Order: sequence, then C-alpha cells, then structure tokens
Amino acid sequence: MTAASAPAAPRSAVARRGAGSAVLGSGRLLRLELRHNAMLWLLPVAFALFFYNGYREIMALPPMWNLRAMTVQNRLLLDLLIPVTGAAAWMGSREGRRGITDLVAVTARPRWSRQLVIWAATTAWAELACLACVAVVYLITARQASWGGTLWWPAVVSVAGVPTLTAIGFAAGAWFPGRFVTPLVTVVMFFGVAYGTQAASGDHSYWQISPLTTGAVGIGAAPGVASFYPYLPDLSIAQVMFTVGLTVAVLGALGIPVARMRWLAAVITVTGLATAGTAVALAGTGRLDPHGMIVIPALHDAASDQPVRYTPACSRTPIPVCVNPAYAGFLPAVTAAVGPELTEFAGLPGAPARLSQVPLVYRQVSGNGVTVGGIGTGPAAFALPDQVPGWLGTTDAEFAAQLDEGLGLHLASHVILGDGPASAGAPSQAELAVIAGSVRFPPSVESRDLGPLYGQVLPQPGSPAALAARRFAALTPAARHAWLAGHLTALQAGRVSLEQLP
Amino acid sequence: MTAVAVRLVRLHAASRRLPAALALLAACAAGLRGMLYGHWDSYGALQLPLIFEAACAAIIAVTAGSPFGEPERATGRWLPYLRLGTAVTLTALASGALAAAGTGMPLAGGFADIVRNVAGLTGIGLLCATLLGAPLAWTGPLAYMVAGAYGLYTDWHPPVLSTPWLWPARPPHDAGGALCAAVVFAAGLAAIALRGARERPSGDGPG
Repeated sequence: MTAASAPAAPRSAVARRGAGSAVLGSGRLLRLELRHNAMLWLLPVAFALFFYNGYREIMALPPMWNLRAMTVQNRLLLDLLIPVTGAAAWMGSREGRRGITDLVAVTARPRWSRQLVIWAATTAWAELACLACVAVVYLITARQASWGGTLWWPAVVSVAGVPTLTAIGFAAGAWFPGRFVTPLVTVVMFFGVAYGTQAASGDHSYWQISPLTTGAVGIGAAPGVASFYPYLPDLSIAQVMFTVGLTVAVLGALGIPVARMRWLAAVITVTGLATAGTAVALAGTGRLDPHGMIVIPALHDAASDQPVRYTPACSRTPIPVCVNPAYAGFLPAVTAAVGPELTEFAGLPGAPARLSQVPLVYRQVSGNGVTVGGIGTGPAAFALPDQVPGWLGTTDAEFAAQLDEGLGLHLASHVILGDGPASAGAPSQAELAVIAGSVRFPPSVESRDLGPLYGQVLPQPGSPAALAARRFAALTPAARHAWLAGHLTALQAGRVSLEQLP
Repeated sequence: MTAVAVRLVRLHAASRRLPAALALLAACAAGLRGMLYGHWDSYGALQLPLIFEAACAAIIAVTAGSPFGEPERATGRWLPYLRLGTAVTLTALASGALAAAGTGMPLAGGFADIVRNVAGLTGIGLLCATLLGAPLAWTGPLAYMVAGAYGLYTDWHPPVLSTPWLWPARPPHDAGGALCAAVVFAAGLAAIALRGARERPSGDGPG
C-alpha cells in the first residue's frame, strides 16, 4: 500500500455506503409513497370503470385474439384515464395544496428526486390496475379462443400509455396546485385522448400515434385483421416510442426549476420530445397493407409479411367447408347457413371438392374509407365477412344473410352457369330460376340489396322465371340435387325451358 | 335582505372560491362553444356536451369544501341554507352558461339534455363531497362521465345500455332518465345542505 493509495480505499467504501444508503432511502421513500398514494384508493374506481365499459364490450366479442387484444388497446387506457390522471394530479399537487413546499425544500433530497418517487409510486399502482385488467381479458381469451397465440403488442401500448397519463397529471398538479386543477386536468386529458383519434384520417395520418388507435383508423379491430397474417407491430412500436418520449419529456421538465439539475433536466426533456416527435413523424409515413394493418417502412420487418401457417378447420358436409382455425367457432353457423346449397351441388360437374376460406383484402380509399373484398375468384375460394356474430352487435341472422348473399350465391352461380357457351353471354331464364331457387335469402335481405344482381344471376322479381324459382325452391335439397344431376348439362346448354323446371 | 345577510353570503362565497368557480364555469362554456365549431363524427358530437357538463359538475362539487371546519359548523346557523343556495345557484348558472354556449350551434340534446345531465352529475358530485370530502368530489362526476360516454357509444354498438340511471345515454325528453337525475340531484343537495362536505381530520384526503 502506498501513501497515495491509502486514502482511496476508505473513500470508495464511503462512496459505496453512500450509494447504498441512497438506494435504501429511496426504497423506503417509495414504500411510504406506495402506502399513502391516492391511486391505491382509486383502484376500485379504475376496475369498476373497466368492468362496466371495456370488459363487457370485449367479452361480448367473439373469442378471437386479434379482436379482443386490439379492443383492449382501444378501451383500457380510456377507462383508466380518469382515476389514473386524477390520482397523479392529486399526488403532484400535494406539497402545494398542503402548503408544505418550503417545509420539505430543506430536506436532503432535491425536489425533483422526491417528485419522481411520488410519480413512480402512483404509476406503480396504475400499472397494477392496467396489468390486472389485461391479465383478466387475456386469461379468459386464452381459455375460449379456438386458435392463435397471445397478441402482446396491444397490451404493451396500453401499459406504456399509463406512465404518460400519470406524468402529465402529476406535472399539472405540481405546477398548478389548487383545488380545481385535478378535475380540470383530468377532463382535458380525457378530451385529448378520446377526441385525438377523431382527427385521424387515412393511413398517413399523424394522429394514428394516439395509443388508443389499433391498426388502421377505418378498420380498427376486425376479424380479418391479423388472422391470416401476423399482427404487424409497426404502429405499436411508434406508439410506444411516443408515449415513452412524452413521459420522459414531462418528467424532465419537472426538474428544470431545480437549479443544480437544470441542464440535465433540459437534456432529458429535449431527448424525450425528440423521441416523441420522431414517433409522430414515423406514424405519418404509414400505409395500409392489404391485410388491414399499418406498415411503417422504417420500422417494418419484411418477415412479418409471410402468411401464418395453420391447419384449417373443416366441416363434415357433402362439400367440406374449411376455415382458418381462428374462425372455427363460426363453422357451425356457416354450414347451417349454406347447408342446403352444399347438399344440392355436391358432386355436380363444376362444383368444388371443398370450399376454402381466403383472407379479406383491404384497400384505403379517400379519407378513412376502406374497401374490403375477398381474394380468389374460383368456386373453391370464399371469404368470410368481417361482420361475424358478436362483432359490433352483428346477429346470427345478419351473418347468415351475408353468407347466403355471398357464399351461397357464389357457389350456385358458379355451378349453374359453369364455363359452358351459355355462360359467355347472358344466362338463360331457366338458369336464373334455378340459381334463385337454390339460394335461400333470409327476410332481412331486401330486394334493394339484390337489385344489382337481377338479370345477372337472379331473375327479375315477378317475372315468370321468379315464379319458376319459387317452384324449384319448394323442392328438398336432395330432390334439387337429383334433378340437377340429370339436367345440368342441358340447362347450361340452354335446352331447358321454365316450364320444364320441376 | 340586510347588509349583514349580504355580507354573510359574500363571505361564504369567498370561502368556497366562488369567483374562481364562476370563472371556470364560464371557461367551460366558452370551451364548449369553441369545440362546437369543430367537425365531429356522431360519437363525438353526442359525447362532447357531456364532457363539459361533467367538468362543470366537478367544479361545483369541489367548491363545497369549507376551509374552516368545525368552528364554522358550530357557529353557522345559516350554513345549510348557504350551502344549498350555493349549490343550486352554481348548477343553474352552469346549465345556463352551457345552454347559452350552444345557442345557434348543433348542440346534441339541446337545453333539456344539459339541464338533466348537469343536475344529475352535480348531484353525484355533492354526494361524493359528503362521503369523500370536497377535494376528492370530482371522482364521482368524472367517473360517471366515462360510463355515460360509453352509454352513448352503445347506441351504435349493441348491447345498448338502456337503464335510466345512465341518463346521459337516454333521449333528452326521456322521463325515466330525468327522474333518476332529479332524484340524485335532490339527494346531493339534501346531503350537502344538511351535512356539508366531509372534513378529514388527517388532512384533505389520501396522499
């Protein structure tokens, strides 16, 4: 040991002891703040609001991971906003409200450090509420979903949004302590978050950065999104960047009035603002991909464009209907809706050996408008509509009507009109009558819905062909099948008149 | 009214920060007016007034707190009347200010909706002031606002929430909703007039 190094060891030990006691002190302070935090008392309000608003809506949705996880992101933060922001503003205003600012200013800890501990305690309770809500929804969905894995990104965005709420609320309370500040900042935040999504228009909108926005603004949480292709995290990453950046900026700004730390706080604030600004700019470069999700080129991983591999769920019907396993719960409804058509056309020339579900294709049009269509035009391909039972109040009858109008008519027209010479020109009246007699349209399908199809694949209402169709429809599916097995070729060749129809 | 009575009312108003409350109610009305110039979708247009109504109700509820505590209770014979008068006056002024802000603008629900919602939300706020204390009285109206906004949202996305206790989601002239709001308002007035806002011995609330 030299004379120079001798004092070094005690200094290092003192420094270690100092750092250790500082950490211990911060831990004790955090524990105290956790025990005396307003957010703890507002947890029941947070849970009640989520149960009444978000949870019931989410549980009413079909048990599909994409629907429920995306709806969690859309609802959870809004339900937690009032208690979380209010509690944070309340805690932030504590020193000013109680007139103890000068009293605590003489304590060993700088004000910024004390404030960060209070904010951390408030955020911890708020995150607990957020995670508990996510856990309940995800656990129930894991038990109910027929296929698919947990979608974490929507939950991550919600979790990342909570500190932003607490930071803004806390800062407002700290800067403007007063009895009216807490409710006012809470209302302003609610308005900003809830109405921020209203400004979004199209897939290039900067307002997509709102943590409530799940996927494309014009689509939202839809069954066709992230079913056949992986959930794209591009927008979620930008949203997390934005919320983290904003949180850091606000917390940094709290430290600017502290003389000793002004520069550090300013650098932190600027860094946070730069991160948030970058995230907003990235959101503005988004575009809607054909699978209904937002692609941000700078954040996009091309590997995410590969379709998800799955073993389809198939029905045991004369023509098997095979769907993505995520839709397995709707298979009975599908086969019930188009069961007679499947029986009637099975085994006929031109009828598919099986029907396979294909993904929907989304395309952005002006504003928030999005067109939705199916890919594949062959008789063996069909797309299930996004309006599945339970989604935004869609009923079983409405779902069946869509299937008859789409899948049933698609199948019947392909089999009856076939690829023969008659199909090249206008279909015969007998062909139209057979198609109309084969497809059952529920009462909810009105003639205005079918109007564009008259003369193309359906007869005009009240025409002789429509009367013949009614006669044909009165037969059982098996009887219609037997007649078509013997007469389909003649029908397609135009050698069957309306009078010859059974 | 005697000079003493006028002075009593003035002092009571000052102790409840009424000037600040009136300024904030006016700011809420101005804010609503400004927002009505914007273009909102159906949800937004319906939910917009509710947000400002809840803000007004929270402000009224927070004013219920007394800075004096027990001495005021012991000596203030007219205190229940003053509390009642303050709450009723502020509610009427808030309703009038919001209705005036919506004049000539596409205000969803109209005046009937404003009166019902402000009264009901204020009732919730006054009950919260009695139970939790005035500083935390905002929790009730603002939490109810979230539920009410969701009720309006379910008009498009069933299952519809049709209970009259969620009156913001009911049509403006619905008797059930108006009755429930009136009951809550009356209960809030009675509670605040007779008992006043809760005073916590340990301070102004948790935290």
